[in-house]
Amino acid sequence: MTKAGFTARGSQLRAIAWVRWRLFVNSLRTTRGKLDLISRSVVWLGFAMVGIGGAAGMGTAAFFSVREGKPGLLTLLLWPIFFFWQVFPIMATAFTNNPDSSDLLRFPLNYGSYFLVRLAYGAADPATALGSLWSFGILVGVGLARSRLLPWTLLVLLAFAAFNLVFMQMIFAWVERWLARRRTREVMGILFLLLLLSVQLIGPLTGYFTKRSRPEVRRFAELLLQGQKILPPGLAARAIAQVSASHLRAGFYSLGLLCAFVLAIGCCLHVRLLAQYRGESLSDAAASPVLPQDRRLRLGWNLPGFASPVAAVFEKEIRSLLRSGPMLLTLIMPIFMLIIIRFGPMNSVRQSEMAIPGHSPGLAFPAAAGFALLTLTNLVYNNFGGDGSGIQFFYACPVRFRDIVLGKNVTHASILMMETAVVWVAVISLYGKPTLSITIATLIGLLFAAAVNLSVGNVLSIYSPKKFDHSTFGRQRASQITVLISMGVQVLVVGTAGSAFWIARHYGNSRAANLTLVLLAIIALCAYRAVLRHIDRVAREHQEMLVAELCRA
Amino acid sequence: MDAASTICTQSLTRRFGEFVAVDGIDLRVARGQFFGFLGPNGAGKSTTIKMLTGLLAPSSGGIEILGLDLATHPVEVKQQIGVVPEGMALFGRLTGYEFLNFAGRMYGLDRETAAKRAVELLDFMQLADQPKKLVTDYSHGMQKKLAMAAAVIHGPKVLFLDEPFEGVDAIAAGTLKTMLQGMIARGATIFLTSHVLEIVERLCSHVAIIHQGRLVAQGALEELRSGVEARTPVPGEGLGSSGERLTLEQIFLRTVGGMRRTDQELSWLG
Repeated sequence: MTKAGFTARGSQLRAIAWVRWRLFVNSLRTTRGKLDLISRSVVWLGFAMVGIGGAAGMGTAAFFSVREGKPGLLTLLLWPIFFFWQVFPIMATAFTNNPDSSDLLRFPLNYGSYFLVRLAYGAADPATALGSLWSFGILVGVGLARSRLLPWTLLVLLAFAAFNLVFMQMIFAWVERWLARRRTREVMGILFLLLLLSVQLIGPLTGYFTKRSRPEVRRFAELLLQGQKILPPGLAARAIAQVSASHLRAGFYSLGLLCAFVLAIGCCLHVRLLAQYRGESLSDAAASPVLPQDRRLRLGWNLPGFASPVAAVFEKEIRSLLRSGPMLLTLIMPIFMLIIIRFGPMNSVRQSEMAIPGHSPGLAFPAAAGFALLTLTNLVYNNFGGDGSGIQFFYACPVRFRDIVLGKNVTHASILMMETAVVWVAVISLYGKPTLSITIATLIGLLFAAAVNLSVGNVLSIYSPKKFDHSTFGRQRASQITVLISMGVQVLVVGTAGSAFWIARHYGNSRAANLTLVLLAIIALCAYRAVLRHIDRVAREHQEMLVAELCRA
Repeated sequence: MDAASTICTQSLTRRFGEFVAVDGIDLRVARGQFFGFLGPNGAGKSTTIKMLTGLLAPSSGGIEILGLDLATHPVEVKQQIGVVPEGMALFGRLTGYEFLNFAGRMYGLDRETAAKRAVELLDFMQLADQPKKLVTDYSHGMQKKLAMAAAVIHGPKVLFLDEPFEGVDAIAAGTLKTMLQGMIARGATIFLTSHVLEIVERLCSHVAIIHQGRLVAQGALEELRSGVEARTPVPGEGLGSSGERLTLEQIFLRTVGGMRRTDQELSWLG
């Protein structure tokens, strides 16, 4: 590239950075923007504490593993970092900030700049910040244990960070591509169903192998252990361990392989970004052929016990969500969580005396059901976010807001019920059947939690809305005020329900917990009813702000 | 307020902080009128239409639609009006049929009627050939037609249209005009804003012009024309020179005083 080319690219990148800065400064003109900044600061403070605490822990572990002459154990630190870096942005989309850079394509931006901007946007993400902090902790730990390893470890961890960053972007870009088209979405849906079915077999198979042929399991575990060594986290750990043992050539070989991974993943990302750069449209439009008209009259859905507008809103919400691949992916996360915990690294101690209680069905079901509720927060706390300019329709039509909100709440409650049922089946398959008392207590607790979340969510959806395109993957962030309050609500709900259980256990009366939760659920349902009763007034008072926020281009 | 008017406003005002977007306007639109609401960019047209349809609360003043106070009877008013607002108010992740069916039910139609009318409207608007296409994948013109279909699915007595012909091709515009004229013939009232003055001149019997938030002219098109011609006779233009009447564009420009500076040019433009 010529000097003029570099200057032009630098100027463009500076302009983009300036625009992002101005957008941030301009957002502070409103009270909501200022509150959002405060909320964001609090959230980031929380992340900083987790990051620094984690870095200290990782650093200590790295220090001892190197000092004790076992640097190979660094792999036990790098794999969790890798998983966190990749999984957190999908599981906690509320914190993911990866703005749509395709808007920039109208300008004469060259592909290199576009690629860099996309990577830079991705780097401003909590997962990247935490992953980098923890990696830094490892670097400090290794450096303190053996200072001569510091430059090499820095090099390796930089390559490891680059891999994680590029891999995360690549996953986002490809999943978004697959979920955008109906055909590929259906294929992914079928794959997921197959996965669910295969999960049913895991329990019996595990039982069979653990009872009858332990050596096979051990061989399989050894195979996995060997396999991980040629994957990026394992390679990074090996590179450090090999140089630590003065095997420089092997160390360079491992680092080279790690860099090859970065390049390969970078190429996969490049394929996607180049397609975007050339103006690819991810919609179904191109794939939608002109079909012969369907002359059959398809009536709208009927919801027994509810008014017609409530049923209409329910149908609209379900249809919209079924076409939103990213939302569907978020909703199946509880199952993945159960699988990861069941077969993750912690599982190795399952049979030992150190077995952690998370593996018991008695705790797995409440935890997974709670997580199922958490995955709904994007919807529950931002009821109208996905409607965009459609919010005007709700204000223009002769229907009370109470019915519209009720329709949305019925949708969310139905999804929660369905998810809880699926989670229950998954827990039985993976962990064993939870006891009846645990199942009942969880369901009552869930009723209480759902009522609280829906009540607060309905109010926040109007007070703090955020336009949300459910078809894009990880490029948007919920209002930070909403995120902070919803976190507070979860702490309150879990704290209250947990206290009920603790008190009941303390006095040796498990029924007391259920009774307390029933009482709490009744209070929460009364609060929910009160919110619904006043929602029309609240919606009217905040109409202007709601419409302005959601109709924003 | 005026009981004979279908749409009647009294000192309708809307402020955004210090800025007065609509400044005490008194509109009168009688039943069966095809009413054009004109004004330059930022004059307050969309703000007015939003207030008339309940999408924006006025800062002061009153609105009556079909004799009902919008502030006290919003649901009753909304049952009898249809609206195509500025942003079209569509739900992108539905198909055209699903959206119309949904709109029909939200406007109080039973399931069968909503479904039948949705099919009829899709046929009429020539949107039925791609039933699985999502609204988000529609072209701008198709979205406009769909928004129009949703606004009329319940057979409203009053229809509010904000720039209905913007981005619509000639064929689609013809379809829309036929539908609107049919509605007028059956006694409905239509209130539209448009920058395409030729269309307004051809369709509307009555016109109001808003400028800087104030109503500067209102009445039948012929009355306005006569008034402007009498007030501001310009040699070489309008009646008296070639015998031709003033066009709506000339009336509009003279009313709002829209003269472009001729001493300024962008010399660097190719």
